[in-house]
Amino acid sequence: MSTSTPEFLKFTTHSFFTQRLVLSTLTGRPIHISQIHSSPTNPGLAPHEISFLRLLDSVTNGSSLQISYTGTTLTYSPGLITGGIAAGVSDVVKCTLPDTCRRGVSWFILPLCMLAPFSKGPVNARFEGEGVITSATESGDVSVDTVRTAVLPLYEKFGIPGAKMEIRVLQRSCAGSGGKGGGGIVEVRFGAQVRLPKTLHMHRRPGRVKKVRGVAYATGVSASNNGRMIHAARSVLNALVSDVHIAAQYDQAPLVPDKTNPSAKKRTGVGFGVCLVAESGVDGVVYSADLAAPSEGGVTPEEIGKKAAWQLLEAIERGGCVSSVGVGTVLLLMAMGSEDVGRIRLGRDVVGSEAAIGLGRDLKKFGASCWGLRDCEGDETGDLIVSVKGVGIGNVGRKIV
Amino acid sequence: MLGKRKRQTKAISGSEVRSSRSDSSASDVDAPEIFRRHFETQFTPLPNIEKPAVVEEELEEEDESESESAWGGISEEDQNAIEVVEHADVHTRMAAVSKEELKSFMSSKPPTSAPPISIVRNPSATTVDGDDASEAANLKKDLALHRLLTESHLLDSANSSTAMGKNRHKATDLRLQALGAKSSIFKQEKMPMSERKGIIAKQTQREKARRDEARQNGIILEKVKMKSKMESGKRDRGVGAPGVGKFSGGTLRLSKKDIADIEGPRRGSNGRGGRGGGRGRGKRGK
Repeated sequence: MSTSTPEFLKFTTHSFFTQRLVLSTLTGRPIHISQIHSSPTNPGLAPHEISFLRLLDSVTNGSSLQISYTGTTLTYSPGLITGGIAAGVSDVVKCTLPDTCRRGVSWFILPLCMLAPFSKGPVNARFEGEGVITSATESGDVSVDTVRTAVLPLYEKFGIPGAKMEIRVLQRSCAGSGGKGGGGIVEVRFGAQVRLPKTLHMHRRPGRVKKVRGVAYATGVSASNNGRMIHAARSVLNALVSDVHIAAQYDQAPLVPDKTNPSAKKRTGVGFGVCLVAESGVDGVVYSADLAAPSEGGVTPEEIGKKAAWQLLEAIERGGCVSSVGVGTVLLLMAMGSEDVGRIRLGRDVVGSEAAIGLGRDLKKFGASCWGLRDCEGDETGDLIVSVKGVGIGNVGRKIV
Repeated sequence: MLGKRKRQTKAISGSEVRSSRSDSSASDVDAPEIFRRHFETQFTPLPNIEKPAVVEEELEEEDESESESAWGGISEEDQNAIEVVEHADVHTRMAAVSKEELKSFMSSKPPTSAPPISIVRNPSATTVDGDDASEAANLKKDLALHRLLTESHLLDSANSSTAMGKNRHKATDLRLQALGAKSSIFKQEKMPMSERKGIIAKQTQREKARRDEARQNGIILEKVKMKSKMESGKRDRGVGAPGVGKFSGGTLRLSKKDIADIEGPRRGSNGRGGRGGGRGRGKRGK
């Protein structure tokens, strides 16, 4: 990459923010994003976006960022992904999220995990502060349990061993009052780096759902909510799958410093939710659902459990070998793989989602080849087979010339 | 809890039966019934035992006065049938998943796709039927015989009681080596180098003496095992791995020797002169 003639790829608006930054870092092309949150009332980068830029800056070496005065334009020229140099005694990169953060911590973890296999060294990051929400949020972020149980297993298909990745939830937290802030602590350890991800071939039948696993979590509220959520979810699922097991996880609400009284601390991030993962008989096919109580409350645990179960059934109905939670990760890793065509079977609605189409467009803009789509023959599921050709860049830090 | 409920329902139905009976057949109650009622007002209710007689009675009676009895629609059997309310909760079925699986699912690592190996074996799987049992017994005997044959030479010295334990260890060693163990369990791992050297020297000397004696006596011995050259040579590096240095943790480490190998021999002036010059400059700087 010659830095003498930086050809900035131009983007507008804040949509697919993390995805574009990740693609820019992986392909090494600088980007220019304008009109970020260009509404007159609250313009510029949101707190979580700033936090993500900080995180990106700390896990890379040599990247440069320029943000305009109002924060509506951003210029990013990527550096090498090193995994970060830890400060002090601990070996982790610390990422402190502010209490104004509205997104769940999975919004940060998912793109970080996409970068991590292409890092030079292991990526160890610790999310803390008053803005870490480990549960699912209303803005559509999944919980950390879903990331761990439904997204990380997908990496194994690319030759990235799952034994070397870890997501430690040291403190759970739901969204605080007004959906803002949490107080959780999450540690991500990703020690599985590869030169090039393997070419993926998952174009066979996705199989039938054999078992359902899940985690019901209650933070700072009665632990009986767990049982009630599990009961309601099982009342829906028991008739369909015999092997259903949902673990219950109760934690105290996290303590965060009180703003009004500097010496005191207060508890925040109270709530409950449930995450369900359906595993198919075919290796590596998982569907997931995730639902948490809204921060203002007013819903019963039965309702949450039942809705989560329905959501899971919807995800299974959409079909394909990868559900919409993991489709971004899988398609991106396929595009970053060797110059070989990988095929994956996806549900029609999964491909037709805004996220998948947006990813396809962005990949094209970053110089990756387009996808080939064709109907799946031999059955009436209406699934599509997406063929993705890798760009063959892979891990620059691991390249031995 | 369940038992309590049952008892309650039983008691209720019993009293109902009795009250209905008293309503309908107040005119022709027999003597034991009167006694019974008297007893029940004084003490606790008696258990219902003389069912068949009562049923007969009722049937007879129903023929006469069918219209006046409002309760007659319900048959006697229905009333006496104990209504069992069973509250089967899901909590009873929660323990379907083993503790290990739950632990691995709730750990910080992503759940593995491979099915966990359960330690507890199914007892039904181990039970075998007739000829299978005899087959297993035969296999066992075969194994015992095989072991006896291969290890019988150890039994020569097994007369003394102290040799028993040693022989057991020797037998274990033999079996391990048959299974492909790299080294004997009797080989001491750590010892002073001089001692080790002495042992090896003694071994080679003994072997040499044996071979010499055999040659002198005209006995042909087995061939000498040649040491493979592969062990001392360069180790095989994987495909795609760097051809130089040590790669670990995402970094390629080059030792001084590696760097010297890459740089190759210095051209022009000899190394000594160059180094000396460098030193000299340093001194001049001071």
